[in-house]
Amino acid sequence: MAILPDDIKAAMQGVIPSHVVTCSHDGTPNASAISQVYYVDADHVALSHQFFNKTKRNLEENPRAMAWVISPETFEAWDLELEFVRSETSGPIFDIMEMQIEAIASMVGMKGIFKLRAADVFRVTAVSKAVGERIPLAEIPRAR
Amino acid sequence: MIPDRVVEVLHGPTWIQIGSRDEALRPAHTVAVGAVVHDDRQTVTVFVPTARSGRVLRDLTGNGRIAVGLALASHESYQLKGTYISSRPTDDTDRARQEARRAALLESALEAGYPEAIARPLALGLAITPGVAITFRAEQVFLQTPGPGAGTLLS
Repeated sequence: MAILPDDIKAAMQGVIPSHVVTCSHDGTPNASAISQVYYVDADHVALSHQFFNKTKRNLEENPRAMAWVISPETFEAWDLELEFVRSETSGPIFDIMEMQIEAIASMVGMKGIFKLRAADVFRVTAVSKAVGERIPLAEIPRAR
Repeated sequence: MIPDRVVEVLHGPTWIQIGSRDEALRPAHTVAVGAVVHDDRQTVTVFVPTARSGRVLRDLTGNGRIAVGLALASHESYQLKGTYISSRPTDDTDRARQEARRAALLESALEAGYPEAIARPLALGLAITPGVAITFRAEQVFLQTPGPGAGTLLS
């Protein structure tokens, strides 16, 4: 169906951390930062699963998630509505994400703490620009 | 009661995200700029751009469940979970607080090593007006800093 626009790829390089919200079976939301939302294809993304955490437990109960990504080039942000498909612990998606997580960990001083346990693959069910979240770049005060 | 350190983080240069969900348990997300912890150390107000508040407010007025994630540039992170109380348009005092918070976010991002070309638009580009102040009661506070203690219930 090709739901993801091409210009969203810049927001999926792990330069700026992304956010993900999940929800437990009892209706409690969970908001967490995530190192990377990886572009798999025009209908799928993979989220880095680095810790055994509430996000992972929620996805076992309720496969829906909302991810937020932002481009470090244009500073446009997007909301992605997601549905969990599968978890991969080997293969090309895992290998690329593992390499990128190691690079991110080195850059932000988290080497040895950031470790990819799985690449969680999601189907994108909807995508929308986060309109109104940011002011236009031209209106941002420049450095003196 | 919100621990001292988490109050400091809420009043400091913290990146704030809000999570909610609808009746079908579909999660929603928005960012907030600035927060205030009330004197009871349990009630918190966060500030959200009006244009990004619609879905979250619909969720919150429908079921009240809110999660608020906090992250410093150092990766020190926390999460508050609680119950929605009320919302109102932001006022001049709120906006002054938000402007100070944007400046502090820029300073902390630069200190953390982000290049100015990213830190400046990332921090100062956050929209604050028009805005909505969302107040909730924090019932649980979790440590969320990446590492073995992530997920620990603090309060």
